[in-house]
Amino acid sequence: MKANQLVKMGALVSLMVAAPLALAETLLIKDARIVTLSDQGTLEMADILVKDGQVAQIAEDLGSLTADLVIDGRGKVVTPGIIAPDSELGLTEIGAAAATNDSAIEDTSIGAGFNPVVAFNPHSTLIPFNRAGGITRAVVVPSSQQKIFAGQGFAVKLTGDFDSVTDRALVQKIYFGEYGAELAGGSRARAYEQIESALSQAKEYADNRDAIRRGEWRDLDFSVADLEALQPLLTGEQPLLVSANRASDMLQLLALANQFDLNLIVEGAAEGWMVAEQLAAARVPVVIDAMGNSPSAFEKLGARLDNAALLQKAGVTVVIGGPGYAGSHNSYLSRQGAGNAVAYGLPFEEGVRAITANVAQVFGLEGGALAPGSVADLVLWSGDPFEVTSFAELVLIDGKPQSLENRSTRLRDRYLHPEAGTGHGYKTGNKK
Amino acid sequence: MRPTLGSTKVGQRWLLGACVVAVVTILSACGGDKQKKTDGADFARLDAFPSTYKADEASPVLIRGATLLTGTGEQLNNTDVLLEGGKIAAIGEGLKAPKKGMVVEGAGKWVTPGIIDVHSHLGNYPAPSIESSQDGNEMTAPNTAQVWAEHSVWTQDPQFSLALAGGVTTLQILPGSANLFGGRGVTLKNVPGRSVQDMKFPGAPYGLKMACGENPKRVYGGKGSLPSTRMGNVAGYRQAWIDASSYRDKWDKYHENGGEEPDRDLKMETLAGVLNGDILVHNHCYRGEEMAIMMDVAKEFGFQVSTFHHAVEAYKVADLLAENNVCAAMWADWWGFKHEAFDMTEANIAIVDQAKACAMIHSDSAIGIQHLNEETAKAMAAGQRAGFHIEPRHAAVWMTMNPAKALGIADVTGSLEKGKMADVVVWSGDPFSVYSKAEKVFIDGNLMYDRHNPERQPHSDFELGILGAEGVRLPEGGER
Repeated sequence: MKANQLVKMGALVSLMVAAPLALAETLLIKDARIVTLSDQGTLEMADILVKDGQVAQIAEDLGSLTADLVIDGRGKVVTPGIIAPDSELGLTEIGAAAATNDSAIEDTSIGAGFNPVVAFNPHSTLIPFNRAGGITRAVVVPSSQQKIFAGQGFAVKLTGDFDSVTDRALVQKIYFGEYGAELAGGSRARAYEQIESALSQAKEYADNRDAIRRGEWRDLDFSVADLEALQPLLTGEQPLLVSANRASDMLQLLALANQFDLNLIVEGAAEGWMVAEQLAAARVPVVIDAMGNSPSAFEKLGARLDNAALLQKAGVTVVIGGPGYAGSHNSYLSRQGAGNAVAYGLPFEEGVRAITANVAQVFGLEGGALAPGSVADLVLWSGDPFEVTSFAELVLIDGKPQSLENRSTRLRDRYLHPEAGTGHGYKTGNKK
Repeated sequence: MRPTLGSTKVGQRWLLGACVVAVVTILSACGGDKQKKTDGADFARLDAFPSTYKADEASPVLIRGATLLTGTGEQLNNTDVLLEGGKIAAIGEGLKAPKKGMVVEGAGKWVTPGIIDVHSHLGNYPAPSIESSQDGNEMTAPNTAQVWAEHSVWTQDPQFSLALAGGVTTLQILPGSANLFGGRGVTLKNVPGRSVQDMKFPGAPYGLKMACGENPKRVYGGKGSLPSTRMGNVAGYRQAWIDASSYRDKWDKYHENGGEEPDRDLKMETLAGVLNGDILVHNHCYRGEEMAIMMDVAKEFGFQVSTFHHAVEAYKVADLLAENNVCAAMWADWWGFKHEAFDMTEANIAIVDQAKACAMIHSDSAIGIQHLNEETAKAMAAGQRAGFHIEPRHAAVWMTMNPAKALGIADVTGSLEKGKMADVVVWSGDPFSVYSKAEKVFIDGNLMYDRHNPERQPHSDFELGILGAEGVRLPEGGER
């Protein structure tokens, strides 16, 4: 973090400076409402001290304690940083420009073994934009238009740094439901059979690895790379993210999870409320689009705005992703989705949890809650984090204040007062 | 831009419904004042599929002591609104409760005009989305000005009632953007209808959907035909307007001099209807330079563009929009799905507005249409962060009055003003809060949606017995 960036940030958050900024290693936010999602709950007016990239202390009054950077949090709200649960951040730049997309492949020889992590581009414009929207980390998941097995997802921090991948293989993605049926050749039954067979053969492979590699075994339907990639599912090291929306589809997946002892996450779950008890009993979490209340497919006839509330009430761990129409470019709109879920009955803290702590817990990431010793990924919001009129005034990743500038703000400032002539060509829209 | 009050010649015409010979002043489209008044051929054909919408006789409704965002830029606190005879009868303090009818206690509630969405595909791309219901894009030729979106509307699309629950009382259904000329759009009241005519906004002018940029050139370039480039797009527009001008002249000559009646041409009728000012151009256009070109095309052929839709780069040419009296309909924050949507700024609407052009929110989405209040709130907040002084009373215009202007219906709806249609939403709180909901939605004074009364929540045919033989789509009390 350069000193001039801190000064810029300071213009936004009216901070008081107690030491040379370039040396800022401790940061104190005073008198903010702090939603910790840890044992400390929500503190209506409290201080939080950040030191060496971690949360050092949270208390109602840290008294005369000072820090390199002190920020006045009155009237503002601190939450853990938002974590995008199912994005293509860093794998896409422009949706309809093939050259800028690395999330899916047309090669059908590989499925579960595909992992696009080496394609991750920390300089993507989506990263600073979504960071300004309060996202600090993301789960990045491949997609597929060929097979139900999309491949392995990974996790990143939104620092924009070259070393911002935190987990190189985190989760396996498979399509079920209508889309899975289409990819599998026309029926859910075929998709189900493919998943079952892949997992069975992955077991067979694990039990007979050497013989199979020597070619002294029957021909299997999947490549060694795919079968290797499925191993962490069988050992419970990796969760399996499977898309399904229809109630009966989810029940089938619960049976599958039981059969193979999988760490299942259901993605979609538009009719989740109908099978909420079963999901809760199986301890299977869901990743939902909380604004997707249209019966836009026959598998989503039961879509409704209080899906999140009903699921949570039944004891299901709910993760809220960005609205389906918005895509990865607007991943940060998971905040608006969670706000709508809260408007339709989800308790406030559960709403915050659904875009932070639950994401971390379900995917096994750092962050998501604030407690002494936890990673200092947090956002200081101008007001209630669910109001769409509120915005992130300060975003910390590993305790470091992040730049909140991006192409959207740069273009805004270049064209704030559009006029004829050549002048715009010489404005950078940079506040420096 | 305060609208004129009361009834006008055009307003009366609307109330009467169709007219056979178009003697029309399109007054409310931005730039409508530049439209010429013409006698002669009826290119718009308002009488071909006339509106059969008829509001039920409405009992009076008094909303007492609410906070009003009027849609004209005002906020009135602790104010009463009286709806009577389907119209807004009075706005003021201490209005007398009607003897019969409903009183809505407005303490803590907010009231806005019904939200108007200038860009929707409900009914043309209905839910559930299946192969047989993709009826919004006639992707068979770059100019399909002869098709009318209303002929594709499936009135049983369950998404109409979801939009109603979001406070949307009027919406324009447009053809898609695959073609240079996609066809006619139609303006609907958001009411249950057995036929699309039952939903048609009486007397509202037709729209013509045009499209710039990537879509037409991708669709037709991919087929090896014109246009495959943006310059091919513009050649396509100009040739069509040359043809349409000649068609219009032929009919004008016939009306002046008599003789043999020319053959009708459906495609040319729609374009000629634009040239004589009866049909409003709604132009899908993302890029600033393309908007500038389209405004010059309009000048070359003597018509007016009502509104650029999607207009992700409207902020770059906001001064030109203002100068040419052209509206821009925008999202709050969508971007990046294609190159022409890459230069997005969240301050787009605010910058266009501050340049004194007519700015509005639009959805193009069955989900977005349910949350246009939130989308407007985001655009307002982005404007404030850009340093503009924009209050809710002003931002409300972006979802009410300005879309009414774009649709040419601002004289009869779009604001809380005496004499206008009683298209009114009662919100549980500040409509720009995520926690607020449309509680009651009135259309022409009738309570068409009541969040607290399941009997006043419409269900389309599709929703009956679809998820359990005995119920409607969701159990009673479910939040749709």
